[in-house]
Amino acid sequence: MTDIHLDGLTRRFGDVLALDDLHLDVAGGSITALLGPSGCGKTTALKLLAGLLRPTAGRVRFGDRDVTEVAAERRGAVMVFQDHRLFPYLSAGDNVAFGLRMRGVARRERRRSAAAALERVGLDGLAGRRPGELSSGQRQRVALARALVLEPEVLLLDEPLANLDAHLRAGMRELILDLQRDRELTLVVVTHDQEEAVVLAEDIALLFDGRLHQHGAPRTFFERPATARTARFFGTTNLVPGHRSGTQVHTPLGELHVPDGAPDSAPDSGPDGRSGRGPDGAPGGGAVWVLVRPERLQVDRGDSDHPRVTGRVLHSTYLGTRTRAEVEVAGVRLTVDASDDTLADAGPGTSLTLVLPPSALWTVPREEDGRAALSDPAPAASVAGTVEPT
Amino acid sequence: MTRTEPATTDAPRPATQPTTGGAGATPRPVALAVVLLLGLLLLPFVPLVLASFAQGYFYPQVLPERWSLRAWQVVLEPDGATWAALRDTVTIAVSVAVLSLVMAVPAGRVLGTRRFRGRRVVELALLTPVLVPAIAVAIGLHVVFLRLGLAGGVPGVILVHLVPATPYVVLLTAGVFANAELELEQQARALGASWWQAQRHVTVRLVAPGLAVAGLFGFLVSWGQYVLTLVVGGGRVVTLPILLFATASGGDTAITAATALFHALPAVVLLVLTSRILGSGALTTFGGAR
Amino acid sequence: MSAWWHRHEDVRTWVALSPALLLVGLLFGGAVVMAGLRSIGLLGIGEGGPSLAAYRQLVTDPGFARSLGLTLYVAVVSTSLSVVLGIGAALLLRRLGAGRRFATTLFQLNLPVPHVIGAVAILALVGQSGLLSRLAAQTGLLDAPAAFPAITFDPWAIAVILQYLWKEVPFIGIVALAILSASGDDLEEAARTLGASTWQRLRHVTLPLLLPGVLSAAVIVFAFTFGIFEVPLLLGPSSPTVLPVLAHRRYTDVDLAARPEAMAISVVITLVVVVVVLLGAAGARRAIRGDAAVTEVGS
Repeated sequence: MTDIHLDGLTRRFGDVLALDDLHLDVAGGSITALLGPSGCGKTTALKLLAGLLRPTAGRVRFGDRDVTEVAAERRGAVMVFQDHRLFPYLSAGDNVAFGLRMRGVARRERRRSAAAALERVGLDGLAGRRPGELSSGQRQRVALARALVLEPEVLLLDEPLANLDAHLRAGMRELILDLQRDRELTLVVVTHDQEEAVVLAEDIALLFDGRLHQHGAPRTFFERPATARTARFFGTTNLVPGHRSGTQVHTPLGELHVPDGAPDSAPDSGPDGRSGRGPDGAPGGGAVWVLVRPERLQVDRGDSDHPRVTGRVLHSTYLGTRTRAEVEVAGVRLTVDASDDTLADAGPGTSLTLVLPPSALWTVPREEDGRAALSDPAPAASVAGTVEPT
Repeated sequence: MTRTEPATTDAPRPATQPTTGGAGATPRPVALAVVLLLGLLLLPFVPLVLASFAQGYFYPQVLPERWSLRAWQVVLEPDGATWAALRDTVTIAVSVAVLSLVMAVPAGRVLGTRRFRGRRVVELALLTPVLVPAIAVAIGLHVVFLRLGLAGGVPGVILVHLVPATPYVVLLTAGVFANAELELEQQARALGASWWQAQRHVTVRLVAPGLAVAGLFGFLVSWGQYVLTLVVGGGRVVTLPILLFATASGGDTAITAATALFHALPAVVLLVLTSRILGSGALTTFGGAR
Repeated sequence: MSAWWHRHEDVRTWVALSPALLLVGLLFGGAVVMAGLRSIGLLGIGEGGPSLAAYRQLVTDPGFARSLGLTLYVAVVSTSLSVVLGIGAALLLRRLGAGRRFATTLFQLNLPVPHVIGAVAILALVGQSGLLSRLAAQTGLLDAPAAFPAITFDPWAIAVILQYLWKEVPFIGIVALAILSASGDDLEEAARTLGASTWQRLRHVTLPLLLPGVLSAAVIVFAFTFGIFEVPLLLGPSSPTVLPVLAHRRYTDVDLAARPEAMAISVVITLVVVVVVLLGAAGARRAIRGDAAVTEVGS
């Protein structure tokens, strides 16, 4: 099992800084997701790992081996591309056997290995097909088999689920997880989709604007985001401005008791962007956003002694598995999701009381300077309900 | 997201030093080789230019001892043979381009947009005259044209130039229609346009640039045509290629060179103008316009 | 009428095709049929029934065999060299960063230049009193035009082949460049991460991608270099000469009896080209296995 160490990895394209000083350690035999919106530098990072790009600065190590200067074809890392990139003039079997052929493996041996790899991805019997005769999902599997047959130390997947229909995605995901377990591969997956990152990876590195923004286990990103930006990227739409003193936060919704929160240090200042307590173990102070996920807000049934707020329903939408309502409370718009029928009667204009369980609340620093204003949301009253583009 | 990061050029291996540049960096040996290649391809024009401005360009002068505009004055003489040849060449080439386009637009639209039985046969039937050597066509048609009174005149030469030009223009036009988004025509109809309005406001605008290029290629096929003109024109239709050949056999190298450059210039200018308008990608097809 | 017209799409299809097809059928088909008939002595000026005399004469004429050999040699050598050099040029141009567009425009400058001009220019460059000869004399390498290697009007038709390369290397190069820029670096990148070295990428990725398109272009180049008349007339050897020149010579012979032979030669030229085109089309089709070939054609 090969662990990967990225040390200050930087790549410029002309004037554009695509990747800025990335420090990241990937444990051998684990799956790590590089997550972020378009243009955040995640594919650049993957190509730097694969050796298809050379870094402007920084080192790449596979285990003890410094591979920064090693050409892609001799690096031992295989990349599977989002658009499959099968050779159109070769059959599926010959595509899978391609890398073995490059290594000089005899034809018969190649055939056998390719057939086995195709079988492993569930495509037995399709070795004779041309890429043009395969569906998108089948092509993706051929591309995966083509990489696996080489038994790489490191497998790099660029958006492996992005081009697949919903019903194919689940199967592909299971396949990737299975393969990784079988072979104890070190896997790095690039994705723009937080759900995909969460279901695939044990470890997520979130990149914004070419920089590592937060790194940690998937749960952290939902429950303990380091910044408002992370929170928004992971679907938290309720950001209530407030001022913290001690464990109390003063907000338009009233005084809230929030014992924990992300520290006041800028998260992308260093590689250790993990969220949690500040250096002294105490929650941060000053201007904060209070975060609460829509599904953690509850409609009051009168059986709770948690803080309550009452507001007016602006509108509600039935979403199949749940109902979502926009509620205005003291000039703040809150989004609330309920998977039961508690919102069934919440028509526009009706009054609704919501419960804020303390365990659902989390704070992140709220910076007022220009840069933060660009990356952090404006006051919740005007942006509630916006969704991070994915 | 697909490719938001700039694509990589094929980075030299093994990676020795960090690069900071983007796509702008060209390895020095590549640049030198390209300069050499282009130099070789353009080299044959050098002696033509030198000779056309030379007075008594004797061996072994590399640069003429005396420069002179004599050859150009002869070639550009108002009542001289060059202008008469240019007039005939342009008359024939423009007629060929227009007539080819008239036949090519309906045929090209059908070939480019419809699947029908016999399509491959039609394509092959059109490809053959483009590829079968002109000398065979010229010899085969000459006697018929003699009997029809078409030999030795401009109309006969136009007709015979249409043999290679029209199929070529049809095939180009088919490509233009195949690549045009003709579904927009239906969108226009759905927005209330009549069939004619849809043609005028949508289809014509979509295909016009491509058709212009196809017509230009028809023009160029005729512009450079030698043997068809020689045989069917019977020496009485003197286009620029005929004139140039005759001049070259005459032995005055300065006048030959000036005539050759005079003949080459319009074709090259048209190519450069088209590449400006269409971008270099659209120019692959120039290979056919010989 | 209108309803009937709209119902019958196949009728509309063939009506749309008919002007172009009629032209090709009447003029090109007519030319080929006339040449064929007259080569066997029909419709000629002389009297007598059909006969294979013209062909018999060709077969027994050692001059014809040598002409055919020369023509094939010139076409095969020109085509092969054009393909190799054209692909090389495309690979070079593709690696250009800045100035690529400008270089590509210069690269194809020769394409629209008529062949007569190219022939005149090549003569002025490599003829015995041409520019290269003069440069050699200036540097003291030789003292008279005659000392310059005779590559014009020579039995190996070197100047003819040079002229074809001058014109066809850019043609093949542009076709290859179009294929390469359409496919981008994607497959080469994929091959690299699968362990393919530079040469392996060329051999197993780039060349297979180029094969169908370049094969079609090569067929065009062969047809062209096999059948062109004015270049060998101006630059090539006169005895033996290439078939197109021989056909014209027979056709314009004062002895009208030579005309069926001219026709027979032009039939042979046509047949050779048609066979090569069909073989090339079949090859290109196999190379891409039924996918529509996107190839440009030339005259």
